[in-house]
Amino acid sequence: MLRLCHIDDVPKGATRGFLPAPGAPRRVIVLWHDGQLLAYADACPHYRGGTPMAWRTDAYLSGDGRHLECHAHGALFDIASGDCIAGPCLGRRLTKVALHVDEDGTILVPDHVAGRGGSER
Amino acid sequence: MQISGLDYLVFGVDDLVGAQRYLEDFGLAPVDQDETGGLYEALDGTGIILRKRDDPRLPEALSTRSMLRQQVLGVRDASAIDAIEAELAKDRRVTRLADGSIEFRDPLGFNLKVQITRRRPLDLPAEKINAPGAPAQRAANEIGVWEDMPARPRSLSHVVLFVPDMDKIVAFYTGRLGFRITDVLTGAGPFLRPAANDDHHTHFFIRTPEYMQGCEHLAFHMGGPTELMVAGSRFTRKGYQSFWGPGRHKFGSNWFWYFNSPLGCHVEYDADMDKHDDSWVAREAPSGPEASQIFLLQWREKWAPGGGPEGK
Repeated sequence: MLRLCHIDDVPKGATRGFLPAPGAPRRVIVLWHDGQLLAYADACPHYRGGTPMAWRTDAYLSGDGRHLECHAHGALFDIASGDCIAGPCLGRRLTKVALHVDEDGTILVPDHVAGRGGSER
Repeated sequence: MQISGLDYLVFGVDDLVGAQRYLEDFGLAPVDQDETGGLYEALDGTGIILRKRDDPRLPEALSTRSMLRQQVLGVRDASAIDAIEAELAKDRRVTRLADGSIEFRDPLGFNLKVQITRRRPLDLPAEKINAPGAPAQRAANEIGVWEDMPARPRSLSHVVLFVPDMDKIVAFYTGRLGFRITDVLTGAGPFLRPAANDDHHTHFFIRTPEYMQGCEHLAFHMGGPTELMVAGSRFTRKGYQSFWGPGRHKFGSNWFWYFNSPLGCHVEYDADMDKHDDSWVAREAPSGPEASQIFLLQWREKWAPGGGPEGK
């Protein structure tokens, strides 16, 4: 397991993107939803290999705050399921990342999350 | 149909404050700003008009989630507007506005406006380079780069649209609005330039399903490849997300660097695009990584060799 961040690094109502290891190809998006911590790979399924979704550091939500959004072409994703509900990758979904939270609040992710995880574009 | 290119692109966004900050950090100058948005200008006065998605002054939205609400095309004089109106009024509604401009829809529902261009003539040198065998472009003691060198977008360059019916839209832009096809990426679509603009493209169309119709990206011309990379590096360091580039395209030869944005599309810096006239014969190449670029690079933090071996 790899240390991703600490639970205090993820404020309620916000999204945060963390690199699982220096030089990892993709960040992991972490957010609170209905009292649960959720995490997805920062990789829009529109193109093979996935492309980064924020328009600015940590800016993963749609303008109205109701969905995760890829700011490449405006695809919207259901926050709870990761399903694309509008946009170029309609019918596909974001890749969920399993989180393990230690007693001291450290958030860990599986090692493979820092791997190449598909070719670049 | 003497269209000279894009004056403005009009967007109706969800996150107006975020989009305003984005365009200012990109290097555009805010004009007539208030809490409902405003114009963001490049150096020649072309640019992006930003409003809230539900602003009643905006033309009707497409049925997709696209935030692009209108393309504003420039022409040299009123007679050019009259000619376009006469041609288009044969088979569609053309609305004449109080300022003399006209509005209409293309066959896919994209909203267009034609006005006497507000583009201001620019008188600025291009990036100057020195090379053996050619006269020096920079005089003795004239330096090429400095830390706070200007790198602002000069002009709105082009827009790329996702289109569900390529035949219809190409027939309209070439047959009715007088655009020329400069090159074609098979499997994606054609590059087009209007009759009164010699840039390789002001428009590029990409074939997509109906639910994707909208804007793929828009681009601004920079003063040269160095300005493009300086502007892109500064933008990256402010926390904005690079999507593709820096690199140099094959068709058009323009340098490129694309960024994600809160406008529902990419926003691109471009530089040093080819010029064409009507003697040019369009090339064709299969769409893909080979045809898309002569090379592709990726930004990284500043680094320099030094410091000795690891652990010493």
